[in-house]
Amino acid sequence: MSAAVRVLDRRPGWLRAAVALVLLAVAAIVPQLGSTFYVSLGLNFLIFGLLAMSLDLIGGYTGLVSLGQAAFLGVGAYGIAWGLKQGMSANVSIGLALLAVVITALVFGLAAVRVGGITFVILTLALGQIIWGLAYRWVSVSGGDNGLPISERPALGPIDLSDSAAYYYFVLVVFVICALLLRAIVNSPFGLTLRGIKDNEPRMRTLGYQVGLHKYLAFVISAFFAGVAGVLFGFFNLYISPTAIDFGHNGTVVLMAVLGGLGTLWGPLLGSLVIVFLQQYLSIYVQRWVTVQGIIFVLVVLFAPDGLWGLLSRLGRWLTRRAGAAPGVEPHLAERSVVGSYEDDLA
Amino acid sequence: MQGFVEQTLNGLTFAGLLFLLGSGFTLIFGLMRIVNLAHGGTYLVGGYVGYSAIALTHSFVLGLAAGAIAMAVFGVILERGLLTRVRGMPFSELLLTMGVAFIMGDTALAIWGGDPLAIHMPGALDRSSRLGPLTYPNSRFVILGVAIAVALLLSYLLGRTRVGAIIRAGVDDREMVSALGININRVFTAVFVLGALLAGLAGVLGGSLLTLYPGGDSDILVFALVVVIIGGLGSLRGAIVGSLVAGLLDNYGQAYFPELAYFTLFAPMVAILLWRPQGLFGKSTV
Repeated sequence: MSAAVRVLDRRPGWLRAAVALVLLAVAAIVPQLGSTFYVSLGLNFLIFGLLAMSLDLIGGYTGLVSLGQAAFLGVGAYGIAWGLKQGMSANVSIGLALLAVVITALVFGLAAVRVGGITFVILTLALGQIIWGLAYRWVSVSGGDNGLPISERPALGPIDLSDSAAYYYFVLVVFVICALLLRAIVNSPFGLTLRGIKDNEPRMRTLGYQVGLHKYLAFVISAFFAGVAGVLFGFFNLYISPTAIDFGHNGTVVLMAVLGGLGTLWGPLLGSLVIVFLQQYLSIYVQRWVTVQGIIFVLVVLFAPDGLWGLLSRLGRWLTRRAGAAPGVEPHLAERSVVGSYEDDLA
Repeated sequence: MQGFVEQTLNGLTFAGLLFLLGSGFTLIFGLMRIVNLAHGGTYLVGGYVGYSAIALTHSFVLGLAAGAIAMAVFGVILERGLLTRVRGMPFSELLLTMGVAFIMGDTALAIWGGDPLAIHMPGALDRSSRLGPLTYPNSRFVILGVAIAVALLLSYLLGRTRVGAIIRAGVDDREMVSALGININRVFTAVFVLGALLAGLAGVLGGSLLTLYPGGDSDILVFALVVVIIGGLGSLRGAIVGSLVAGLLDNYGQAYFPELAYFTLFAPMVAILLWRPQGLFGKSTV
């Protein structure tokens, strides 16, 4: 694993592309294993991976960790459920759901980006609870505690997505497109500006960057991808209830991102892989899965504040140094404690 | 009109419970800058411990003491054992308490099960009184009474004693306090334990008002956040006003706009946060 990380870290582009292709090939084989368990595991991983990556855009790259990211997943999923309930087609419902996500983010963002640090965390928690509260109590729209059924999956031309393998491939394609878009965003001048804001906001402001506007856009873009994850989530489960967006699930998304390593994009993906795998697999054998999750949380904070990605990069570097292979390898960005680097802004 | 009076009473008594929870939360936040997301778990587990103690001893007072003391001990362990390791890193502290909150909620579910448990106050306290045309449960007045007593005690402690002066000074400027030769870490532990103790006490009282159930920890935690955001960090007066606003808003909201109940609670909070990010009584330097 560490070798793979090293390769992804600094080998030339074609090697990185090769590793990505191998991973894609592995992902593409999953439905051929003939087990619905693996398909559902893979779907959960792709959907929550996308959600964790969307959180990384605002949390890892902009320095604003949101405790309300699952709320946007909820708006997306409730959006399609509501649209279908009103008799709209699946495709119209998707458009409606994503529009609802963007509008919610545009409104919430006005409030959220005006505060920073810990206050942002608390405020997004409260905003997330508004969505949860509406889902729970606004029974005439959301179905309340019972949730809403999602009656059908969209048809993609001749391809029938109601087959779970076909749906898996559809999600895989959407995921890859979103991941590439997110990568393009964080590497663009806009993404670099976000990193600059995270590292030193006053300096960016002095340099003439519109800091507030950048934060606002990052918040809305991040919410949009969370909403896409929500649409995929809704069509996967064919059902949405308030439980999916409660306080605990908002925390789980943060755990995925922090466990993997904020500010690395692939780290949160790795984090969601670990959490989804443990969640689906361990919960078969261990009844107290949530306790395990809490313990992981505490251990990561105490011993691996830069997440698994940082841990693996360090391990990879240590191994190469032992082998005497790479004197003077430049320290990679991920080496820095990402959680630690927030502390200056948050204090 | 009668309905309005009843809702107002409900709001006031709920505010009493929220104050017990929010006062500790706001002091911890104000002094240590820790958003203690385990505060809801402390409330719930404190309530459950109280429930078990009452089942064992048949004494409500012993139950109150057991819940409060057990959570005070837990507070020492959490603060000394874990939080000191990430001192001064607010984001790590927040994540740590969130992990602890997960563990507490799940452990409580494992021990006390998923069915709601109600705590009954003894004798006449479990009955209702007639107030004119209104019949109102006595237990809710007990909660309000305890909250008022705690508020008086806390304002004496903070306003009239040396320890209180140190805490107030610490909220304003911790570096200065330690520069004056005061062991601020000991003050941190004391305040954290006080907060946990009050949360445990609130849990036992909350067991009679709201019952104890899985998920009750995050429900009440959100209220504590609202109280602190409205009132301002580290301000006792802010906690009182914040509790009253949150308690009344929640009850009026549930009574008159049941479908939008959470919205009526959170929308004013967001508005206050935008208008005064430091809360109504917070210091602008925070």
